[in-house]
Amino acid sequence: MARLSDLQESEATFLRGMAENMQRIEPGNWVQPPALTDATVALVSTAGLHQRHDLPFTLGSLDYRVIGADSAWGDLVQSHVSANFDRSAYQSDPNITLPLDRLREMAEAGEIGGVSERHYSFMGAMPMVELFEETGTEVGNMLAADGVDVALLIPV
Amino acid sequence: MACTSISLIREQSEAVGPTRALWVPFPLGRPLGMANDAEFQKNVLRQVFGLLETATGPTIADYEGPDATAAAPGEWSCPLNLGPGTDDTLGARLLAEVGRLKTWSSQTRAERGRTHFGSSGAAPDQVDDVARALASVVEASSVNELPPQTGDDIEWAFEMPLLARHLADDLRTFYHEAIAAQPGDAAPNHDALNEWIFADTVLGETLLAVADRFTAADDPMANLIRGMLIPDGHYEGGSAF
Repeated sequence: MARLSDLQESEATFLRGMAENMQRIEPGNWVQPPALTDATVALVSTAGLHQRHDLPFTLGSLDYRVIGADSAWGDLVQSHVSANFDRSAYQSDPNITLPLDRLREMAEAGEIGGVSERHYSFMGAMPMVELFEETGTEVGNMLAADGVDVALLIPV
Repeated sequence: MACTSISLIREQSEAVGPTRALWVPFPLGRPLGMANDAEFQKNVLRQVFGLLETATGPTIADYEGPDATAAAPGEWSCPLNLGPGTDDTLGARLLAEVGRLKTWSSQTRAERGRTHFGSSGAAPDQVDDVARALASVVEASSVNELPPQTGDDIEWAFEMPLLARHLADDLRTFYHEAIAAQPGDAAPNHDALNEWIFADTVLGETLLAVADRFTAADDPMANLIRGMLIPDGHYEGGSAF
């Protein structure tokens, strides 16, 4: 259903136009992580999620918010500006966007090595991906400092 | 550190060229497919993590598994008969509608033990203030400030006109909570929710009136926010941008 042909025509045209204007990001050195059973995983979301007391995201936000692994779901709000995605499923089950409970279950089952203490949220809907170079690098450095082996990027 | 990712719009992932991406055919807003279905979500995660073991260069793989389901327009209807009702003012009718939904929203909040209401800066119990503020935008002399009103003590998280977009979002969160508590298993999808909001509720009528107020203001920022207030397809049959 996230096929462009399934969306409202005006929205599909907009998203297709975004794709045509997006800049290709050349990959850095290929990194092979340790075995999943030994890997610590962190989430990086573009759903515009943050703690209630955090500054909200605003138009053109390029910055990020930290989400502690022990954050209570009720302390998170979503200030993403787009009206064109469904929030009701997230409100029913936040794991559909930020699967922290699923990661914890997979860690307990030994499928992954562990779950990072910190996760990160940006606000998507920014087609000029190159503008995230500075804050993206900053988050990458923070994740590395936390001993994260695998960053899982999840759009909304 | 290695990266793997979920892709929702394949064309955009192909343009950017991620190291590892799993394209999923799920609706926007539902990257793991199904709410309250842990095994479904873990199946997605296992596939996206699997790319860490199989990919040897930049890869966009297709998700394999069941599709996510939700009730489309025509497959879901709200059992409450909302909508215009009386000849009262728009603000009064919106407050009356919100009042009717409170008993349902409170059921959901109690069952979930949480609410995500509050991106506007309002507290979870300030639904009336948010409704009053949104309706006041329609008659405001300027789209850049809210008229004085009850709820003036709220420390709004945004300035107008962007605030209107988050007032709308908070009210939609409240409405989503209200319908989630009602009997029936089928949760509506994005299109079904939008058709209900804009065809059958005073909230939809209010959002369209705010959009028209923004249009009349002929203000570039207000026109931009209008596109973030109304989903595509629901403003004069197309985009509100």
